[in-house]
Amino acid sequence: MSYNVKLDVFEGPLDLLLYFIKRDEINIYDIPIAHLTQEYLDYLQLMQRLNLHLAGEFILMAALLMRIKVQMLLPQPESEESIEVEDPRTELVQMLVEYQKYKAASQFLAQLEAQQSEYVPVSVANPEDRFDPDLFLSEVNLFDLGLVFAQLLKSLPGPQYYELEKIKVTINQQIEFIRNCFNGRQRLRFSEICRQLQNRIEVVVTFLAILEMIKNAEIRVSQKALFDDIWLLSSCRKETHVIANA
Amino acid sequence: MLSPTHRIILALLMVAREPLTTSQAAVCLGEDLDLEAIINELNQFFDENALPMIIQPLAEGYRLLTRSEYAQYITRLYQSRGRLRLSRSALETLAIIAYKQPVTKVEIDAIRGVDTNLKPLIEKNLIQIKGRQDGPGRPLLYGTTSYFLEYFGLKSLKDLPQLPELESLTSSNEPLGIETTLNPN
Repeated sequence: MSYNVKLDVFEGPLDLLLYFIKRDEINIYDIPIAHLTQEYLDYLQLMQRLNLHLAGEFILMAALLMRIKVQMLLPQPESEESIEVEDPRTELVQMLVEYQKYKAASQFLAQLEAQQSEYVPVSVANPEDRFDPDLFLSEVNLFDLGLVFAQLLKSLPGPQYYELEKIKVTINQQIEFIRNCFNGRQRLRFSEICRQLQNRIEVVVTFLAILEMIKNAEIRVSQKALFDDIWLLSSCRKETHVIANA
Repeated sequence: MLSPTHRIILALLMVAREPLTTSQAAVCLGEDLDLEAIINELNQFFDENALPMIIQPLAEGYRLLTRSEYAQYITRLYQSRGRLRLSRSALETLAIIAYKQPVTKVEIDAIRGVDTNLKPLIEKNLIQIKGRQDGPGRPLLYGTTSYFLEYFGLKSLKDLPQLPELESLTSSNEPLGIETTLNPN
């Protein structure tokens, strides 16, 4: 039996990266990308091995890290005009710095929240609420309530009883029935059979009977076009009547 | 010690369900007044008489509150309701909205690196829709509410602390990735 546990320990991939950056005392402006990527991937692997659910954003970040790593490994093209090649880590660093700002801000807010929660607002009930005319009831006593309740009960509709009838038709019966319908003929229309049936259950069971007969190779079925009538063709060749498939 | 005006303002503060503004007070009294001065005098009165209440400037108005020393007793009165603090992700989202408003959900998601659910904050009346951004899709813009200011004990958005610089962040002792516990100071 495996358990699916979701740990809300890290708020997201950025949070996780910041954890590594802090733990390993990494300079956020000069990230050793191979090291960080390895730590990150190790953690993801651990989460997956522990069967912990990972949001898609974590996988996305893994791909981003690996792309940065690859870009850093590729040799930079030499050119006469010393074009400033953008550090592939720049975008990531910006994301991390931005996120960190707001993370710290959220901690400030948490402190404010805690401080302010010590003060409870004084709010006496609004005088207008006290004089809501709808709330006023005339003199009513328990007896009156009882009478009303009794009247209510009387006016309620009584319990409905439904009778369920046991289905009397069996597949074998219908197989016999279909055989009788054939009456020596080689072929038979499904609609002809249905005309003799009385209710939906019989139609369903008859259909099942047809399927059973097909399975037993007793009959074959054919249909000219979609939604056309279905022809049942008897498999026992009494006469060599080969009817061209109409 | 308290003039009739003081007492009227105090009565208004007792009954008001939101911070009382100067204009509201003026309308109720039927004349202009220096609400700030009256509030200060009331607070002085409370102090001198060791009364358990205080008036705070909150959300562009004034609110009468019980003093913090009595919080423990009040929580016992409302035993069933535990102290519900906002989650870390809620606080992060709120911080982004508070400092960057008006801001779209996409911008919030981009900073956090995760998909944000804004509904709980809307339901708590801490953020609200402030309009739509011009441009493709005309996405919704979010901002904080007046209640947000009350909730965090702020007079106005200007009282939000400055966004910290990177250096001061590493001074935090809290281990990241675990629910932060707050040290009361």
